[in-house]
Amino acid sequence: MTTLADAATDGAATPRIDRLGVVIAILMAVALALPFVTFRATRIAAGNGLRLFDALPPTAAAAVGAVLIAALVTAVANRRPSLRLALGALALVALALGAGAAGTHLTPADSPYARIAPGSGFWVGLFAGAILMTDAMVRLKLGPVGRLIALAVTVALVAGLLASGAWSHLSLIAEYRSRADVFWREAINHVILAGGSLAAAVVIGLPLGVVAYQLRAIRDPLINVLNIIQTIPSMALFGILIAPLGWVAANVPGAHAIGIRGIGTAPAFLALFLYSLLPMVANTVVGLNGVSRAVVDAARGMGLTVFQRLLQVEMPLALPVVLTGIRIVLVQNIGLATVAALIGGGGFGVFLFQGLGQTATDLILLGALPPVALAFAAAVVLDAAIEISGRGKA
Amino acid sequence: MIDLSHLTKVYGDTAVVDDVNMHVEAGTITVIVGTSGSGKSTLLRMVNRLVEPTKGRILVQGRDVLKMPAYELRRSIGYAIQSHGLFPHWTVARNIATVPMLLGWDRKKVAARVEELMELFQLDHAQFAGRYPHELSGGQQQRVGVARAMAAKPALLLMDEPFGALDPIIRGKAQADLKAIQRRTGTTILLVTHDMDEAIHLGDRIAVMDAGQLKQYAPAADILARPADAFVDDLIGTADRPFHYLTLGTLGSAVEPGEADGAPLAASASLYEGLGALLWSGRKAAPVIGDDGAPLGRVSLSGITDRAAQPR
Amino acid sequence: MIRPGLLLRLVVFTALIAFLAMPDRFAGLLAPLTDNGAPAIYNQGSLVSLTLSHLFTVALATSAATIVAVGLAIFVTRPAGAEFLALSRAAVNIGQTFPPVAVLALSVPAMGFGEGPTRLALFLYGLLPIFENSLVGLSTLPPAVVESASAMGMTGRQRLLKVELPLAMPLIIEGIRLSAVIGLATATIGSTVAAKGLGEVIVAGLQSNNLAFVVQGGVITGILAVLISDGFQILARRTSKRRGASPQASRPATDGQQAPV
Ligand SMILES: Nc1ncnc2c1ncn2[C@@H]1O[C@H](COP(=O)(O)OP(=O)(O)OP(=O)(O)O)[C@@H](O)[C@H]1O
Ligand SMILES: [Mg+2]
Repeated sequence: MTTLADAATDGAATPRIDRLGVVIAILMAVALALPFVTFRATRIAAGNGLRLFDALPPTAAAAVGAVLIAALVTAVANRRPSLRLALGALALVALALGAGAAGTHLTPADSPYARIAPGSGFWVGLFAGAILMTDAMVRLKLGPVGRLIALAVTVALVAGLLASGAWSHLSLIAEYRSRADVFWREAINHVILAGGSLAAAVVIGLPLGVVAYQLRAIRDPLINVLNIIQTIPSMALFGILIAPLGWVAANVPGAHAIGIRGIGTAPAFLALFLYSLLPMVANTVVGLNGVSRAVVDAARGMGLTVFQRLLQVEMPLALPVVLTGIRIVLVQNIGLATVAALIGGGGFGVFLFQGLGQTATDLILLGALPPVALAFAAAVVLDAAIEISGRGKA
Repeated sequence: MIDLSHLTKVYGDTAVVDDVNMHVEAGTITVIVGTSGSGKSTLLRMVNRLVEPTKGRILVQGRDVLKMPAYELRRSIGYAIQSHGLFPHWTVARNIATVPMLLGWDRKKVAARVEELMELFQLDHAQFAGRYPHELSGGQQQRVGVARAMAAKPALLLMDEPFGALDPIIRGKAQADLKAIQRRTGTTILLVTHDMDEAIHLGDRIAVMDAGQLKQYAPAADILARPADAFVDDLIGTADRPFHYLTLGTLGSAVEPGEADGAPLAASASLYEGLGALLWSGRKAAPVIGDDGAPLGRVSLSGITDRAAQPR
Repeated sequence: MIRPGLLLRLVVFTALIAFLAMPDRFAGLLAPLTDNGAPAIYNQGSLVSLTLSHLFTVALATSAATIVAVGLAIFVTRPAGAEFLALSRAAVNIGQTFPPVAVLALSVPAMGFGEGPTRLALFLYGLLPIFENSLVGLSTLPPAVVESASAMGMTGRQRLLKVELPLAMPLIIEGIRLSAVIGLATATIGSTVAAKGLGEVIVAGLQSNNLAFVVQGGVITGILAVLISDGFQILARRTSKRRGASPQASRPATDGQQAPV
């Protein structure tokens, strides 16, 4: 799988210009030409696009523009990954600060209802800067620790930005401010849904995977059934589970008392748990299958019991594959928990679907961006864990 | 047939093929030997331009290959490799038909050619034509690979360790078959191996490569008798050299008048085989008969061993 | 001999067709799920036409995604596009951490309500598994086979069409299967942005507290997804069987292999 990449980097034929850089530069130029922010007189009024120089005071606009142009030039003319990474990051920071400053600059003192939101130019610029950074990181071949540090720095920067109040005049933050309590409540809901169902899947799925590994007879049927469950759309599964859980709530003594209802968290939790079983079971089986026969034989030869062998030899060696299963489950559950709001299960989906219902873009963003960020962060962290746990075992 | 002049391939800053000059006669088998990484495959693959030379010229039948479209050149040159590279999604017949189809032969002609080749390579048409490569044994896959390389009757056949993956018995047979087929068709063959036995057995001429350079290029007997330098000497192996040398001559060349007891030996057998037969049967001499069974005289142990000494 | 699994699927498929053709006959079955004499069968539109437009949306987006994604995968595996290979891999990995529902929601501000954002989201998200699988398929071909194709004198185009694409086909089909399954699910959620589809039935049920609607919508989409997924799996197995590739039994789930939406 690496043959092509290697061929590309063996430097036999260095192309004259960096064509990826050209694409990034074009995107950056488009970003500069498009409206930097949109201005709306009220929350749901039609938007009015403002270019960089209309949105910011001249010096600030010039500063943001200069950074973006520097990134554009670097993309085409400089191949040093570290420099490209720095300018990509700088461009993102400039865009973020610029958008915040535009919010402050444009908000009329007498009209608190006016909304300023990042415009298409901002988003395209963000995209271009992100590609520039991603490409640089790919070329730098950042190790797992490096990627974790990069993530931590990003989180710290965004947190600092939010805490500093630099964005407080942007509509997304206004939207957040007016429902901060609910936001955090639903955030916790979301994390509990995604993390709790993952925990349940690990507790049940790991042993189930070990059993399926030992007993050929149940392996294929089990995996087939789990495969079919995975195929069912979440909305459908959420819906289908309402009926039996409603019945349980009404007919099983005590079920209602511990929070089981036809709609709400219970069916969502159950559905996420069911979805999580396939990656857990399949990856446990495959991970254990992948442990070399010679190692297992050696362990047996040294007199380890089945149980000791499993805990001391097979499981540690299967760990990277099992962790891959956990990564899949976590990323998938963070996304799926968003849909749970449709059946009253809470989570960020509450804002997302409310926003869709009210055609309020900012509310949609408030509901959509946190799960995206969470899923991305979870993926980075677990990928790093997988890589570290796999060291010296390949 | 092939003329290489100042042929060079540079990767990074090492020349993996370094200023090689070589002329290959039409209708012969030329074997390139050398240690792993010495540039044999690279040299071979420049001939059909799977690797583009950094410097130098390659003439095949008088035409400069660098001035032809690569695909056209390759259709006129057969190519077979160790891992055979059969197309797994095509049947044996379709695989063999690859180049004739690319050349736009008509269907009947292609079918006839496929049948002819399968017979030549001892693959039963009825049984194997419709099979997929994974349904064949390694030796059969390998034969299909060579048959495919020869399908469009190329005047030149390039082979990169074609028998490397075969067990010793099958390999010996495959070598003998290849030699027989080559003698029949007159195809020019350029073959890469790192097995000195194979080189001496098959090669009309042998080219020895080391670190990208052509160390010696001569008939097998010359290489054995007069290795150009310590490297070639090493490659042959001091202990094996007389025995290698004996594989080149036939018993017919060592016949002396007289008689001997015991089972007769064939004049066409190699001196090496004759020596083995004498040693094993504990005789000092044995009668020799010709192809027709007529007695020709005898060979003696000393007559054979004299021929194992380094010529002066 | 018909295997029991196949038989079961045939029965389920027949039942689905029967239900869509004459849903009222099944009203008795669903009635226990309703309260106060609410209708048991969705009555705000024809189930058949909702099913068809649902499938049409998915088919449209998936076909477009297939063309673009396979095209891109071909491009980045040619020498001319090799520069973009590493980045495109990273981009797909990142893209697949985006929840499809978020992609759907975010395309509303860009496209407004209705069919548009659903199709855009389906298309964008559908690109990822197809691109990833095609890329793996095209870049992990046995080197000896690919080289043989060149050595036989195939032009780049002949090699691609006669050797590389056919050999990568099982993986490409697997990518299309994933994309279609994800698309089917995302299209269900698309009803919340006013796209015509089976999600409407579920949403209507949730809004009016009519469990019968929820269940029938859920079951129809669930069955469709399973059957479509099976269909692609059979196709993929057909294309890989001949060449002796082992059937892909219980391999590990990796990124984008299978993800409910
Ligand atoms: N595409 C390439 N890029 C860089 N170096 C290469 C490439 N192909 C071959 N080489 C190098 O060129 C040298 C010669 O390789 P070549 O394949 O010709 O060796 P060989 O004599 O055929 O060896 P073997 O007997 O192991 O097949 C080796 O050191 C190899 O690493
Ligand atoms: Mg070689």
